[in-house]
Amino acid sequence: MTDEIDPGELPPVVRIVDDDASVRAAIEDLLASVGLDARSFASTRAFLDSGMPDAPGCLVLDVRMPGQSGLEFQRQMAALGISLPVIFITGHGDVPMSVRAMKDGAIEFLMKPFDDQALLDAIHSGIGRDRLRRAFESEITTLQARHRELTLGERAVMESVVKGLLNKQIAGLLGVSEITVKVRRRQVMLKMGATSLPQLVRIYDLIAPGREVGQTPGVEPGS
Amino acid sequence: MFAAQTARLRYFLHPYGLKATGSRLGRASIITVLTTAVFILDTVTDLEIATAVFYIVVILIAIGMFRRRGVILLSIVCIVLTLCSALLTRSGSYEAGLINSGISIAAIAITTWLALKMIAAESAAHEARAQLIRIARINSLGELAASIAHEVNQPLAAIATSGDACLRWLAAEPPNIDRARLAAGRIVDDANRAGKVVARVSEHMRGEVAETREMSLNDVVLEAVALAQSEIDRNGVALRLDLTDALPPILGDPVQLQQVLGNLILNALEAMADLPAPRRSLDLRTWQDDTTVRLCVKDAGIGIREDHLPLLFDSFWTTKAGGTGMGLAICRTIVEAHGGEIRASLPGPAGMEIHVGLPARAGS
Repeated sequence: MTDEIDPGELPPVVRIVDDDASVRAAIEDLLASVGLDARSFASTRAFLDSGMPDAPGCLVLDVRMPGQSGLEFQRQMAALGISLPVIFITGHGDVPMSVRAMKDGAIEFLMKPFDDQALLDAIHSGIGRDRLRRAFESEITTLQARHRELTLGERAVMESVVKGLLNKQIAGLLGVSEITVKVRRRQVMLKMGATSLPQLVRIYDLIAPGREVGQTPGVEPGS
Repeated sequence: MFAAQTARLRYFLHPYGLKATGSRLGRASIITVLTTAVFILDTVTDLEIATAVFYIVVILIAIGMFRRRGVILLSIVCIVLTLCSALLTRSGSYEAGLINSGISIAAIAITTWLALKMIAAESAAHEARAQLIRIARINSLGELAASIAHEVNQPLAAIATSGDACLRWLAAEPPNIDRARLAAGRIVDDANRAGKVVARVSEHMRGEVAETREMSLNDVVLEAVALAQSEIDRNGVALRLDLTDALPPILGDPVQLQQVLGNLILNALEAMADLPAPRRSLDLRTWQDDTTVRLCVKDAGIGIREDHLPLLFDSFWTTKAGGTGMGLAICRTIVEAHGGEIRASLPGPAGMEIHVGLPARAGS
């Protein structure tokens, strides 16, 4: 896999959490040798205290650490608002442990000592997944901003249009002339950046109230 | 010190399923004296007096020291003696004698039945305890192995990753020698660190003698045999003890040394598991050799290949399907911590000998 960096996309930063300084240094150096930027932490606490850089990336997490274990941390990440893909590395893992980690959404579960290519592949796959998520989130943010630009009248027309109502019906429903509906409808298409009705419906689905922002689009797990 | 006599007594008693150890010699004589006393009393008193009922005391004393067959044998002896007394006694009413003898025999039979139930329960409990000890040993071994694996795996992982990074720096165009050198430096450091972990573990395994006291190697042997008795009987192994009397005492931790003996005995039994029962024999011998007290555990089992002898006491080396390869390694650790030595030899076409030498207590 190659790193195709979008012009507007920041270079990725891999985060490493392992209590062993040698392992941290070695992984950082390995990533540097393939041109990847990395930041490492001795504990999940230090990782949380560091603040999140605004860059795509993934988290290489040791399972067995003093204090909080990697598996515990993985389960808390969603609640903490951290959506970085996780790659586990462990000195002694067992099958139930790895099954649980994979079920909770880990990309890979690697036994120490691990194959460098396996780690790099997992990291690239994690970065790819994070990019997709970030692109998706930023698309939603843009669409929400555009939606906020609409006037109240235009919003009402948009809601009716996506429900499949005809201009005539919308005019009757809102108590305005059919011409007005046509003008507002044209404005909605323009402001939301939609070129067709199906596209407008898709956009509405993405920003509709109740829709959870941050949900990743269909990325195949473990890809 | 009458361990040797006791041992010989054990040897003679064993074929009859009797179970006696040094501390029980007193009880054996009490049983003999009591049985004789009851017999004489029963014979000299009138037929109306059911003295034979007191044979139940003999049976009750026997519970703790005889195995199943021994108790049955003893109760038969008591019943025969009751009948003999009844026949020998001349004074008193014949009918009363018949009834009293019947009551006595019934009492002896009931007591024997209860005794046998007790022995069965006791041996079940013993079995369960032995099983528990084995499980505990395997569990603690598993935990130990897991923590060692983790400690060693950290530097190993760092070494492998640094090595990969080093190769990538060298393969770069142009090669980045400085970064490669740094990575190689880390590899050396981590390898040293792994070495220190291993050194620490073997230091820990070498262990210390926890509690030191003066004791007789014969006693250690007899106690270990008593603990393993049920296993020895279950396997139908003929046990031969040849313990030299008046051995000088040794200094050490009785629990650890018993562990060594127990391990050697269990290994010997396992080695003979596939042998036809009549050929299964276990010899335990102690003797003095200048300032060293020696023990030899000899079995008639399958033995091992001669070129495997030097590996026998290494950790994780085993020929057993379910073995951990730690038993004899722990034995050596303990014996060496006691200032002794342990070695194995192949005495002939079959079997194996394990020799243990421990320093005799100075000045004795």
